[in-house]
Amino acid sequence: MKKALLTVFICLCISAPAFALDGNEMLEKVDRNLNPESFEMYRKLINTESDGSKKEFVMYSVKKGKDKIASVFLSPASEKGRSTLRVGENMWLYIPNVGKPIRITSLQSVTGGIFNNSDIMRVDYSAEYNCEKVEPADDGHILHLKARTNTVAYDRVKMRVYGERLLPDKLECFASSGMLIKTLYFKEVKDFGGGIVRPAVIETDSPLYKGYKSVIVFAKVKAKELPDEVFTLNYMSKIEGLRK
Amino acid sequence: MQLMQSQNPPESEITKLSLQIWRRSPAFLFFLIFIYISTPGYIFAEDKSSDTIDLDFEIPEAEKKPYSFNAEIKISETIRGFDKDSLLFNQKYPNSRDDGTFFQTDLNLRAEGSYEIGIVKLYARLSGELYYNNDEDWENGQRTEEAYVSLLPSPSLTLDIGKKVSKWGKGYAWNPAAFFSRPKDIEDPDATQEGYYVVSGDLIKSTDSPLRTIALTPVILPVSEDINDKWGNDERGTERDILWGGKIYFFAFDTDMDIMFLAGEKVEDRFGADFSKNISVNFEIHGEAAIVLDYVRYVTDQQGNLTQKKYNAKNYLLGIRYLTSHDTTYIFEYFRNGQGYTRDEMKDYFTLVEDGYKEYVSTQTMAKLSESRQYGHQFYNRQTVMKDYLYLKVSQKEPYDILYFTPSVACIYNVNDKSGSIIPQITYTPITNFEFEFKTTFLLGKDYAEYGEKLNDYKVYAAVRYYF
Repeated sequence: MKKALLTVFICLCISAPAFALDGNEMLEKVDRNLNPESFEMYRKLINTESDGSKKEFVMYSVKKGKDKIASVFLSPASEKGRSTLRVGENMWLYIPNVGKPIRITSLQSVTGGIFNNSDIMRVDYSAEYNCEKVEPADDGHILHLKARTNTVAYDRVKMRVYGERLLPDKLECFASSGMLIKTLYFKEVKDFGGGIVRPAVIETDSPLYKGYKSVIVFAKVKAKELPDEVFTLNYMSKIEGLRK
Repeated sequence: MQLMQSQNPPESEITKLSLQIWRRSPAFLFFLIFIYISTPGYIFAEDKSSDTIDLDFEIPEAEKKPYSFNAEIKISETIRGFDKDSLLFNQKYPNSRDDGTFFQTDLNLRAEGSYEIGIVKLYARLSGELYYNNDEDWENGQRTEEAYVSLLPSPSLTLDIGKKVSKWGKGYAWNPAAFFSRPKDIEDPDATQEGYYVVSGDLIKSTDSPLRTIALTPVILPVSEDINDKWGNDERGTERDILWGGKIYFFAFDTDMDIMFLAGEKVEDRFGADFSKNISVNFEIHGEAAIVLDYVRYVTDQQGNLTQKKYNAKNYLLGIRYLTSHDTTYIFEYFRNGQGYTRDEMKDYFTLVEDGYKEYVSTQTMAKLSESRQYGHQFYNRQTVMKDYLYLKVSQKEPYDILYFTPSVACIYNVNDKSGSIIPQITYTPITNFEFEFKTTFLLGKDYAEYGEKLNDYKVYAAVRYYF
């Protein structure tokens, strides 16, 4: 009996670090493990169709704080110079030919395909979601997230995190009706330098787009000091100038 | 002298159209060949792998170069069906035309490039076109749409000198507060515009207060016969002047707001404001208002006597964007054009045109018709020339899971004379850097109504764009 109690006690001690964090603290840790608060990155977005044809977009993005992100498309040529800005729940799209920013919503997609604007202009999960419940899972936990406001793209998200680093490997996104909208798979954990170790590939599929698949590949994820003025409408046409 | 009438035997409209298409053979054949070589079957082969999807995870674009170059080549075919009973047709072609349709084949090349050296950035966008049509045979043209130098000492400060597009306002179809822009094409509000030679700046300040951003954009625009001579699309003549103005942007309480003005010694001073806000995730409202002080409107009576009406013209616009759960986007706008003509004033103008045409038919005297042409060119024969308009655009993203395919229909309605146009359109970009566009425009309206008296009954437009 003593042995059994001791075993339970030792198990509890081993698992204590994870459970010492509440769900929202874990979520914030996941955010910081995925990227620093202020950073730059390059992403390639690949949309593949059921017949195998594909379309690729490359964008440069900068993010600061919990809820500010700006991106500019570097390719293909038809999209080059288009930029997006998100500050909290406000999103804008700047098209060079049109010459002025217009407001867009998280539900739309500037690229088409499965990824919508909220996926492409993702801010910290902890800024958008409240963790309602944490469930233990194989080598990790499942975080049950609920949108903080009704302006967030997905009403509920089930996030599976694993390992000591608390990195996500699967995200299921649900509408308020409970319908599964899409599933994101985080893959290919890579050391980007500067202490940033995170999945370099996110794959997604959706029951709404049968046979289609979208992938985001990350490169050059790097901490960067950014002034707040970068995240303004007047700066949208100049974002590419931040690249070094 | 009798009016020239068509000597062709009676034919159905479709037969006539078909014959005219094939008579345009060189241009049309060129267009068809281009379409053929750019069909998906030919291009898709490069994009597909037979069994597995081979994803390339390399991102060579991540290496920055100090220069960039992009270009777009477009070939398009436009067919306009004349409304031979309309007054503006009779005004332009008092001897009528043998053909009932106008064909134009366009080949456009637009190229843009930039070069960065430290805090200095050079940018230019040029366009050239080669076109063939019924009336002019092969012609060409070119223009510098933008060419400027930017100094960017910090993200909060920018200075631009050169030819630059400054688009102000929140409206989609109209922008009454866009004081430093050329007029939009209501049939293609997203079309690339040509800029003006300006000196302008951007001073941005972000704060942690509820007023999250404030930005100041001063503009100086010189006008003379050598520079910016077409400012304001004013055909009354160019007077040497220095125009100055500015815009202050505020972002507070999740709302975009601007206050703007323009002033000059020889132009009417004007002030404006706009706003845009998402009241829910899929519902945006926007508005724009401007006042033009001491605006002078030139009005003709039925006899061709031109008078001036001077007043403070108030223009405003209210609009919404709404996205449904099925990815249908609605854009709806109401525009009050305080500078526009009333229904009676337009009727007087149309009466002048009709009387001028009748006078020409009966006496071969061009005086009155020429007078109406002059007024039409200067004041009346323009887009959105009357007081009250409604605009509705409905677009559906990727229906039936067809990726990169967007059908839409736009409607412009003149509230004052109950005329308008309907513009169904499809855009499809199935292949990277290729875009296909097909658009038709139908004009509807009774006699003496703006859209009922336009030169054309309908327009068909097809284009293929390739970006590289």
